[in-house]
Formats: sequence, structure tokens, C-alpha cells
Amino acid sequence: LTLIFSESVESVDLAARYGYDRWLVGRFLEYVPGVEDFLEKMERPPTQYIRVNTLKTSRKELETRLSSKGFELKRTSIPEVLAVEKAPIATGATNEYLFGHYYIQDLSSCMAVDALDISKDQAVLDVAAAPGGKTTFIAQKMENTGSIIALEPNERRARAMSFNLARCGVYNACILRRDGMHAEKLQMKFDRVLLDAPCSCEGVIAKDATRKTNHTPQDVDYCAARQDKLIQAAAMMVKSGGILVYSTCSFAPEENEIVVDRLLQKLGNVAVEPLKYGSSGLTRFGDMKFDNQLMNTRRLYPHVHDTTGFFIAKLRVS
Amino acid sequence: MYRKPTRDESTLINRALDKWGAFEFFKGRLLMMKENASKIVCLMPAELEVITRMQPYLAGLVIGELKKQFVPSMAGADIFARSSKRNKFYIIVNENAEKLVLYGRDIIGESIVEASDTLGENELVIVLNSRLEAIGIGRTRFAGRSLLQKGRVTVTTLSDAGYYLREEG
Repeated sequence: LTLIFSESVESVDLAARYGYDRWLVGRFLEYVPGVEDFLEKMERPPTQYIRVNTLKTSRKELETRLSSKGFELKRTSIPEVLAVEKAPIATGATNEYLFGHYYIQDLSSCMAVDALDISKDQAVLDVAAAPGGKTTFIAQKMENTGSIIALEPNERRARAMSFNLARCGVYNACILRRDGMHAEKLQMKFDRVLLDAPCSCEGVIAKDATRKTNHTPQDVDYCAARQDKLIQAAAMMVKSGGILVYSTCSFAPEENEIVVDRLLQKLGNVAVEPLKYGSSGLTRFGDMKFDNQLMNTRRLYPHVHDTTGFFIAKLRVS
Repeated sequence: MYRKPTRDESTLINRALDKWGAFEFFKGRLLMMKENASKIVCLMPAELEVITRMQPYLAGLVIGELKKQFVPSMAGADIFARSSKRNKFYIIVNENAEKLVLYGRDIIGESIVEASDTLGENELVIVLNSRLEAIGIGRTRFAGRSLLQKGRVTVTTLSDAGYYLREEG
């Protein structure tokens, strides 16, 4: 169950100043470094990123074209991803966007795909796939070879995803309207599995300020229970030697380290591999102590890494 | 449900790929029919197992539809334009017309920068911008030089790349 900490002068003051529920700020004080900077950052619009679709263009070509329209772009730690520093028109309203030359996608989300270490001709499962940002990035990393199975139970979201796949020129993907919890019914194993799990979205408060107060400990409990089942189902789909990447856009340890820790305890054949981005995952929370490998998981903080709040674990299944 | 094209359908598809100069691109890739919708999808052979065992909501990329003839989708037109040697079934429009086409508007003669003299009336054409990117699919209302006549719509826009934005919402 979601841990709630006693109120302190600091948590009460910060919650009042920035308009959050007290319980939430009390928790942030336990796992977010520099909480005041973080809360301040959440008051400003997040940096927008675009990911070059190399199935259709090159980074250089896109930089040239958008610069000629007055865009100011900055390169990031992922070669395909550019930060939009100035946009004279909406980033989703350019011809280049219509032609599928880029996808509007946060840097953190691209890091999760990068962690998959994808190569051509592999079989990839994308468990909670819509709206397709990560799927299209996977497809371009595979150069449209191999196969991607994208699971999305909701028809409206699957339809939106089909538009994104078409716009980006992806033809190595299938969308199945299935819930990831029942992935085993596919009766297949994959080289790579991505589970960007549905979560309480603590990390995207800058985009949706209502989450400051309409977010409850029960939401975290509900998401954590679902994530537990999803990660177990996803781990069963990985070939021996394959990689499972688990990610969320939440900071809550119940949705992140605790989920991964339980998986490690349950399955003896999973190891957490290091990642080059972000800050180390937690190895303690409250009075809980996790497997030391959890240090290899990664947390991305908006005020430190200039991304949405995110968690990534790269798991090798042997 | 996805199925292999019948012999007749294959003939129509092959003729179309030949017409658009894109035959080579589809070597090593599979073309399947989406049953009940006459849609043709391009996919990778590795996806075949999924298609035959399960019923995907979507498999591969819809490159066109078989009606009386093959009509490319925007995604198909994009592949054709990028992978083929341009022939008479491609027309180029100026920047002003590009904006209008992307809103689904028809094309007036003076905005056509390049069109073949040998194009007939009622032909399907892929509309390109000055960078030779597919921006729409059109049908000619006139033949040859008459396509360039001023003040008249000479090509009807059937579909355009702007639909991704309009339909997505």
C-alpha cells in the first residue's frame, strides 16, 4: 500500500505554496531531490522535444528545414531527439509533421526505447502501445525490418495509433486489440519487450496541473497492482537473453522500484542492467530495502534532466 | 481478416506498382488484402505468423485500395514518390497550391509547375510539392497542356497528407 508520511512544516508549507495535496508533497520529500526546485519547475511549461523520423528524413535535413521556418532546435543526448527552443508556429502544424518527418515525443520516452538496444530483424512486443510514439521509434531503429506487435485494447486509441504509424511510414508493426495482462495468449517469445506501463502520471504534473490535487494514494495502489501483473506477463514474453524495458511517467516507488524488486524476487532469471541516462533508482524507501541491482534503474527528474518525470528499468532475462 | 490477393487482384496490384514505378520497392515485402475493405497492406514477412494466427486490428501499412482500379493511400503515395523514378503520373505544384492541397482543396491550372503533356483526362496522379514529396492524390479533369490552363480547377484532390491531422483528432 502507498506509504504516507507524517506532515512536516516543510511539506505543509510547500503544499500550500504550490497548490498540492499535502500527502503528495510529503512523499516527494522522501524521493525527489531538491523538492522546491522540482515544484518550481512544474509551474513552467515543460521543454518540448521532437524525434526525427529517420525512416523519412535525416536529422540534418529536418534541422535545416525547420530552422528555415524560424524554429530553434538543440541537439540532445539521443541523436534522433531535438529540443525545441523556439517555435514560431505550433510544432504539430508544420508540413514536416504532416509528412511524418518527426514525432513530438519527450526525451525520457525516447530513452526508454533507446534502452531496448534494438537491432534490425528482431521481434519486438510493445505492451501498452498507443498512441504509438515508442512503437514508431522502435520501427525506425529496426529500419522497418523484423516485426513489432503492439498491444492496445482500446479501439479509439488503437485508431489514433494507426494514424501515427501511417504518418511515420511504419510497415513492420501489427496492432492487436489485447490487454497486456493476457500477453501469454500470443504464444510467442520476443527479443525485446517494452512495457511503458499505465501509471499515476506523477511525472507529468507540468502538463496537467489537475494532478496536484486529484491524485490519491488509492490511484497509486491501483496502478501498482496493475503494473505488478503487467510486468510479470511481459517478463514471460521475453526470449532467453532478451531485454524487457519497464518504464512509467511516475516517481512513486510503489509503481517503480517496488514493482521491479518484486519481479526480481519472483523470477530468479532477471537482472537489472545499467543505463547511461538519469539518476540512480532507489534502493530504500521508508523502511523497505530493495535488491542492490535497483541502483541500475533510472529516475529522470524534470528539474534535473529537463524531461518529464520518468522511471526506466532495463531487465535482461536469462 | 487478412488474406493473400487472388490472381486477378495480384495482376491489378502489379500493374499499379508498375504504373507508379514502385515495383522494385516491394520486393522482399508482402502485400496482403484486408478482407471486406479491399485495402492493400504492405508488411514484412515476419508479421505473417501474427496475421495468420490472430486477427490484428491493423497489420503493416495500407498502401492503397482496389476499387475499379488501384487507388494509392497517402502512405502508399509517399512510398511511391520516395522509391520510384518519377514518371508522367506525378505532377508538381507550387508552394501556394501545396498549402491549399493540404487542406483538401482542388488544384488550379496555374499552380501546376510540372505535368506531362501525355497525361490523359480522368487519370489518377500523385501530387508532389517542389521538394518532390507526396502531398496528395488527384484526378485530372483535363488532358495534356490543358492541365495548365489558368483560372480553372484542372485536378481534383482526392486525398491529401493533411488528413492525418484532421482525422487524428
